[in-house]
Amino acid sequence: MKVVGARLPRYDGVGHVTGRTTYVDDVRVPGMLHAAALRSVHHNARITRLDTGAAAAMAGVHAVVTHADVPLLVYGHLSGAGIPGDEPLLAKDHVRYRGQPIALVAADTVDIARAACAAIEVDYEELPALFDVRLGFDGDAPVINDTFGNWYDQYEGNLDVRQIRKGDIDAAMDAADLIVSGVYRTQSVEQVPLETQVCVAIPEPDGRLTIHTCTQAMYFSLGVVCSHLQLPMSQVKMVGGTVGGGFGGKVDTASDTLTALAARKSGQPVKWRWTREEEMLASGNRGPWHMEIIDAVTSDGWILGRKMLTIHDAGAYGRFSVYGLTKHSFHHTGAYSIPNLHFDGYVVFTNKIPTTAMRGYGVTGLSTAIEVHAERVAKELGMDPYEFRLKNANRVNDTSPNRIAYEDPSTVEVLQSLAAATGVELGDGLRAMTREQRSGDMLPDHLVAQIGSGGGH
Amino acid sequence: MAVHRGKGLATVEYPTGMNQNGDPSQAWIKVKPDGRVDVFSGTADIGNGSKTVQSQIVAETIGVPYDWVTYDNSNTDSSPMCTGTFASRATFVAGNAVLKAARQVRERILAVASRELEIDPADLEVADGSVSVKGTPAKSMGVDEVAGAATFVHGELLTGDGAHLNPGAAIIDPTTGEVDKPPHAAISYAACTAEVEVDDETGDVRVLSLTQAYDIGRAMNPTLVEGQIDGGAVMGLGFGLLEDCYPYYPTAEHRGDGMNTYHVPTMAELPEIKNVLMENPSSGGPYGAKGIGEMSNNAQPAAIANAIHDAVGVWVTEFPITPERVLAALDAKSEGRSEPRREGRVVAFDEELSINSFTSAKTWGA
Repeated sequence: MKVVGARLPRYDGVGHVTGRTTYVDDVRVPGMLHAAALRSVHHNARITRLDTGAAAAMAGVHAVVTHADVPLLVYGHLSGAGIPGDEPLLAKDHVRYRGQPIALVAADTVDIARAACAAIEVDYEELPALFDVRLGFDGDAPVINDTFGNWYDQYEGNLDVRQIRKGDIDAAMDAADLIVSGVYRTQSVEQVPLETQVCVAIPEPDGRLTIHTCTQAMYFSLGVVCSHLQLPMSQVKMVGGTVGGGFGGKVDTASDTLTALAARKSGQPVKWRWTREEEMLASGNRGPWHMEIIDAVTSDGWILGRKMLTIHDAGAYGRFSVYGLTKHSFHHTGAYSIPNLHFDGYVVFTNKIPTTAMRGYGVTGLSTAIEVHAERVAKELGMDPYEFRLKNANRVNDTSPNRIAYEDPSTVEVLQSLAAATGVELGDGLRAMTREQRSGDMLPDHLVAQIGSGGGH
Repeated sequence: MAVHRGKGLATVEYPTGMNQNGDPSQAWIKVKPDGRVDVFSGTADIGNGSKTVQSQIVAETIGVPYDWVTYDNSNTDSSPMCTGTFASRATFVAGNAVLKAARQVRERILAVASRELEIDPADLEVADGSVSVKGTPAKSMGVDEVAGAATFVHGELLTGDGAHLNPGAAIIDPTTGEVDKPPHAAISYAACTAEVEVDDETGDVRVLSLTQAYDIGRAMNPTLVEGQIDGGAVMGLGFGLLEDCYPYYPTAEHRGDGMNTYHVPTMAELPEIKNVLMENPSSGGPYGAKGIGEMSNNAQPAAIANAIHDAVGVWVTEFPITPERVLAALDAKSEGRSEPRREGRVVAFDEELSINSFTSAKTWGA
């Protein structure tokens, strides 16, 4: 093999570093209008009046799009997985986060579009808002989400909690020499792509729509646009595939559908490029995670069991949060084999920007929690951090939280390799360890029953 | 008042492909009359290099030079379905789709060459843009000649199509989370050591170095892998120390609205980064590949937090670890408030952060 494994230059690298690659923002179409959005100024409020008359009558304004213009207002990102939609494309009678779009204006210039947004008359009735997920379960908390309440309640139909149960957690706690608990809270961060959300939508003479998109997922976004517009996939051509950074923040299809609606309503090509402020203040970001871990451990360094509570702050709407939490639950033992598990996870809604995918979705905060907790446990036991991790490292045919046998785990090997690279001397026993199935001293009684077979990757 | 050094360790694992799988990718390939290869795939390149990697897979699999391959992911009219570039899936899942399409193209090249050379296709091989007889390399013809013959002599189009789908894994018992089949395409592994300096007067944390070991199956293009790992490391540093959309949470005001009010890592924060790549080929990925895109920012935050503890003896478990939080933790330590509650077998950290301290609506404990 000469091509695979070779240090070949990036296919489109020269264009990227010389500024000659055509990104969506570089697309120029004759007669192209420019769009701007009217966004909520409140975290939680009823809309009691929405009047676009003055804005629509302004010179240079060609279309004002509101909820009334959307053929299917609510479409769920996970509808395909049977999870109901909860988020309107444009707010109708209620805004649930500051920055939520209410209307999109297409005009001759961005300045006219922004002035028209300012001319839209909105009356709000402000309501109490909730921001701390720890308060979402209280009976007197403001109700955030009309579809699900304050936390998602439809896992596999009717459960309101994502559960993992394995082994016997009570027996593990009883048998433990030490029970170590900790609380870990990771924050919301923005993906910060250099290219902000941007779209150019063109109504074609044959009635089709061409959409220049910055999406990370052209077919997913095609499905989202066609669902909201109630069109077959033949009527929309997504043009894209070259994206100026996404990191998870460009799966939501944040700009394509509304731009397409504005193009259809005005009959002209429309460009909508978000400002950096909008990108920071209104685009979906990495969601915060509240994680509480209780580990049952022995004085010689085995993790017998883990009890964990996770509360994922979804923001105002569901988007991919249920997916993120499920993935989180599947990986809540990290790189270790823990035979007795009790995991409860909740997706809780708050009046914040709906959160979405970001690099490491569902796991980045989790890895952070697990690894600080591992370090604490090792320190409490007076044990070397490498030894503690290597001892509990997952091995071939150990089983995951959902009972899938690991086929070729490399936890042992990456730790050994890191030790070598940083000049850490591991003892003979740790140096000789491999990923191979447990035996001898590395197969204590409590790990026998969890061993599986038939590698599951 | 002094600057203290510390080291911290973290180990992570991360799945390739969407959780629970069920995420298809498709591709098709056609060959021009001069043997040049056009790949059509719906996989967006978000800077991860998927155009490059998929082109490498196609060139390798057919047996033509890399620069014979043109890659078109520009639109949904000509490119078939791809679930998208996320979930560390592009190299593995979409790569498998182009791999399968390329295998078909290779078979069709061999079939036409077989007729031209009057030799059984099983006795032919394709490499470097040339079809030759195994063991008799002198007897050969170029792939360009094969494509020309296909077009102008045999009236055929050399094409291939490929699709890859790891079947969806269902949760068969929602009370236990048990699944009916593997919920991922592969798992990648990494470990990271952070070396930090903590200023106990300002609370400022400076990451001096990050050393990282990765098992990514097989490095399809080591330069691109290193780019992912270096970029991820810096993103992990920002997550660990700097970035927060709601810096005064639960107050939702004070959000940074631009690069001057929301600080992402810059060259000023860049530590020395040293990477070790291990290759433990996956069983199902193209040429043994696994995903690397996302996990590369997962190990640094904990490694940094652990290094801070090593340096100054405080645990900060609310992220990011800002100077304010470091100073508050140092104050708590000097005032004797930082020890966990120890009672019999129980060692309880962070009880002030627990949901138990905020509500009685959800009961939680050992």
